[in-house]
Amino acid sequence: MKFYIYCFAEGLDRLNKSPRGISGARVQLLKMEDLAVLVSVRRADGLALTHKDAFAHNAVVRSVFKQTTPLLPFRFGQVVTGQQLRNYVSAHRQAIKARLAHVRGCAEMNVRMIGVRENAPPPVVKPAKPVGPGTRFLLEKRKEFRGDEWRAAQTAELSEWFSEKLGNLTRDQQIFVVPSERVVVAKADHLVERSHIAEYRTKIARAIEERPETRFMVSGPWPPYSFANIELEFGSQFGVS
Amino acid sequence: MNDIDQLIISEEFEGTDVSLLETLDHVLNRGLVIAGEITISVADIDLIFVGLNVLVSSVETAHEVLRKHETE
Repeated sequence: MKFYIYCFAEGLDRLNKSPRGISGARVQLLKMEDLAVLVSVRRADGLALTHKDAFAHNAVVRSVFKQTTPLLPFRFGQVVTGQQLRNYVSAHRQAIKARLAHVRGCAEMNVRMIGVRENAPPPVVKPAKPVGPGTRFLLEKRKEFRGDEWRAAQTAELSEWFSEKLGNLTRDQQIFVVPSERVVVAKADHLVERSHIAEYRTKIARAIEERPETRFMVSGPWPPYSFANIELEFGSQFGVS
Repeated sequence: MNDIDQLIISEEFEGTDVSLLETLDHVLNRGLVIAGEITISVADIDLIFVGLNVLVSSVETAHEVLRKHETE
């Protein structure tokens, strides 16, 4: 028998009310040591990605999120046997507990931003004559290197800006800047204590007003999807496919 | 309540399916991974790119912003 997994949770003894899971399956709570794991029995082979099932996955995670924190949501599509799940929990218990402690009492807020790149460097001049593969490679490398430098600088600048505007409201932060020569497209994920969400909204709205040239979108609160990864993969150790 | 109606600050996103895209971005691109290699068949091809489409839309909006900026 295989299980489709939705999330790990701590301090959860029973489900108050859970929506149906993927493919309309009943959601069950498994206890493994002191962890709760929300699963559905998966009898069919393979898994189809549909809007309905993707939303069902999120709905189950959110139903637990309303009931308790901490929890660690799984990405869509994780199907394992009971033995594989037990092995995983047993082998990674400390990492899971540490991650749960990290997100305890918190929700995730996301900020996406789009703006004109003011400090764009002049484009790399294309050689007038055809060049050999060695020169082409070096030109590409130069372009890539400049892009990396800019992204690192932009990430640092945004990190500093958010820290200045949000103070100690965020427990953790991830910033990702999309490579682009002409525009700034970036997203920031913030881990915020639930009791501070209202204050976060107020402060982020105020900060956004200071950058009228940039378009922002803020969403949340979300279960901490972006802060769940314990950077350990089951497949490499147990050969799951 | 959907996932995004708590706060949307930007008129560009009003009336769009941002909520749908945001949900799919979280569910498909983020979260704990146990199975290193999983096989998911995709019934709706658009879905596989939905996580990226949030950014793709943003880039399109950004180019629009850029065009306006250049004509000013």
